[in-house]
Amino acid sequence: MLKSKKNVIWEALVVTVAIFLAGLFFGVLMEQGNSAKISNLYLQSEISLADAMATSRLTEDFNFNCNEIKQSNIDFANRIYEEAKLLEKYEESGELTSGMSLLHKKYSLLRTLLWTSNQKSLNRCNNYNLVVYLYESQNEDTAVKAKQNVWSKILLDMKMENNDILLLPIAADQNLTSLDLLIDEHGITNFPALIINNDKVLYSLESVESTQAFLD
Amino acid sequence: MEFLVILYFAYTFIAFYFLMIYVMIYFQNRKEIYETIKPDKIRTLSMVIPCFNEAKSIGKNIEAFLVSDYKGLKKLIVVDDCSTDNSYEIIKQYAKKYPQVIALRTPKNTGRAAGAKNFGIKYVKTELIGFSDADSLPNKNAISKMVGFFNDPKVGGVTSRVFVNNSTNYLTKAQAIEYKIIAFTRKLLGFIESIYVTNGPLSIYRKTAFDQTGGFDEKNLTEDIELTWNIVSKDWKVHMSIPAIVRSYVPKTVKAWFHQRIRWNVGGIQTVAKYRSKFLETGMLGLFIMPFFILSWFLGLTGLVFLSYRLGRYFMMKFLVAKYSVAAQVALVSMNDFSLNPSVLFIFGIALFSLGMAYTFIALSYSRERGFITGHPLRDIFIYSFFYLLMYPPLLIVSFYKYLRGYNTW
Repeated sequence: MLKSKKNVIWEALVVTVAIFLAGLFFGVLMEQGNSAKISNLYLQSEISLADAMATSRLTEDFNFNCNEIKQSNIDFANRIYEEAKLLEKYEESGELTSGMSLLHKKYSLLRTLLWTSNQKSLNRCNNYNLVVYLYESQNEDTAVKAKQNVWSKILLDMKMENNDILLLPIAADQNLTSLDLLIDEHGITNFPALIINNDKVLYSLESVESTQAFLD
Repeated sequence: MEFLVILYFAYTFIAFYFLMIYVMIYFQNRKEIYETIKPDKIRTLSMVIPCFNEAKSIGKNIEAFLVSDYKGLKKLIVVDDCSTDNSYEIIKQYAKKYPQVIALRTPKNTGRAAGAKNFGIKYVKTELIGFSDADSLPNKNAISKMVGFFNDPKVGGVTSRVFVNNSTNYLTKAQAIEYKIIAFTRKLLGFIESIYVTNGPLSIYRKTAFDQTGGFDEKNLTEDIELTWNIVSKDWKVHMSIPAIVRSYVPKTVKAWFHQRIRWNVGGIQTVAKYRSKFLETGMLGLFIMPFFILSWFLGLTGLVFLSYRLGRYFMMKFLVAKYSVAAQVALVSMNDFSLNPSVLFIFGIALFSLGMAYTFIALSYSRERGFITGHPLRDIFIYSFFYLLMYPPLLIVSFYKYLRGYNTW
C-alpha cells in the first residue's frame, strides 16, 4: 500500500515562505546598499554645492575670474549629472524601499540650489549657457517617457559638442516649494520644458542643431 | 509598494510554491516513481472502448488489447456510436473471431464519448472496469503495470502514461513534450492523493467505486476529469502507473489543437462549476485539487496580463523613442539605455524561470524513451517553453468566453 505524503504541501509552503523572506531580505539589503552609495555621493555633492554657492557669492563682491567660476560650476553640474544617472538606474531597480525616491528629491533640490546660485554668476560673467531641463519623473505615460528619453539624448549630444553648457536636468514633480516657485516665475505649465539662460523657454526640441541656435 | 508589485509578488509566490511542491515530492519519492505493485490476486477486468468513425484505428486498438499480458482481461466491449464509416463492421469481424470482443452499437448517435461509454458499462460484470480511446495503443504490459495498485482497497482508479504516437511537426512535437511533463506531474501528484484527471486513452477503475459515481457525465466536455473528481469526492484514491504506457494520436493542425484545447478547458470550467460546493471542504478535492486548479487559472491569466502589459509598454516605448530619435537625428540607442542593476522582481522571475526549466528537464529525463538526457532536441524544448506554453492563457480566456456563451460542442 502506498503511503500518502501530504505533509509535503506544508513543507513546501514553509520552504517557499523561507525562500521568499530571504529573497525580500536580500532585496531590501541590496536596495539599502544602493541608497547608502548614493547618500555618500550626495554628501560629497552637498559640500561641492556649498563651495559653489560660496564662490558664487564671492563673485558678487569681488572681481573673480569668470572662467574659473564657469569651470567650477560646469564641473560640479557634470558631477551631479553622473551621480543622478546612477541614482536613476538604482531607482528603476528599487521595488521594496522608498529611499531612492527621497534621494531623487534631494538631488532635485541640490540642482535647484545650483540653478538659483548661478543666476547672478551668469548675469555678471555671461560666458556660459545655463540650460535647465525640467522633466517629470513620475509620469508613466509612454509617450511622455519616450519624449523625455529623446530630449535627454539631444541635450547630452549638445553638451558633448559644446563645453560652455551648464546642463541641469531637474525632476519638476517633486513637490519642492523653491522649485515650484521658480517654475511659476518662468510661467511653465507643461513638461518637459527647457529654460535657456533663464530667458527662453522651449517646449519642443527638434534636433541638436536647432536647439543650439538658442544658445548665446 | 505599488499594487502591481504586490500582485507580481503574489503571482511569483504562488507559482514558486506550486513548483516547490513538485520539486519536494520528486526529491522525497524519486525512487518510487517507476515503482509498480505486484497484484495480490488476479482481478477480472472489462475494457470499454467507445468508437465513432475510427475505421482506420479501431482494429489496431482491439489487437493491442488482445495481446495484453494481463490474464484477468475478460471482455473488450467496443461500442460503436453509430459511425458513418465501416467501424462497426470491423468491430463485428473481431467479435466473430475473438470471443472476448463484444460488438455493441448505440441506438442513436450520442454525440460524445461519454454517451458510448455509459452504454457499454451496462454490460460489465467484472471487478474492474477500464476505458480506452479507439485510437490509442496500449503497450502489451500496460494493464499488468496498473492493476497492482488495486491491492489497496481504498484505490478507486488507476491511470496510465500517454505517449504521443505522431510527433511529426513542431506542434505534435511540443505536445509530445507536454504529455510527458503532464504525466510526470500527475505521478508526483499521486503521492499526495491529488490526481485530478484519469486520462481517456487508458484508465482502470474499481467497479464498486465507478458505480458510486453514477457513470460519466454526458453533459460535461471532459468526462474523464469529471469522473475523477467524482471518485475523489467519494474518498477513493487515484493513482498513476508511470510504466504503464499507452500511445495516442494528437492534433496535427493548429485548428484541431485549438478546438481540442477549448473543449478541455471548457470541460474543466464545467467541472469546477459542478463541484463548487466542495471548494475548501474536507478532503483532497476541496482542500487541494480545486484550489490548485483554480489558482493555476489565476497564474495563467495574471501571467498573460503581466506579460502583455510589460511587452506592450516596452515595444511602445522603443517604437516612440526610435521615431522621435530619427526625427531629432540622435542615436537610437545609447549606453544610458542599458542597466545592470536588476530589481528584486527580476531576480525572483529569473529564479522562477530557472526552477521551471529545471523541472521540465527532470520530467523529460524521467520520461525519455531514447536519446540523451531529455530524449528531445533542445530546439523542441525551446519551442515548447517559449511559444507553446504561452498559448495556454489566451486559450483559457477564449474558453471562459465560450463557457459563458453556453459552448457545449464535442
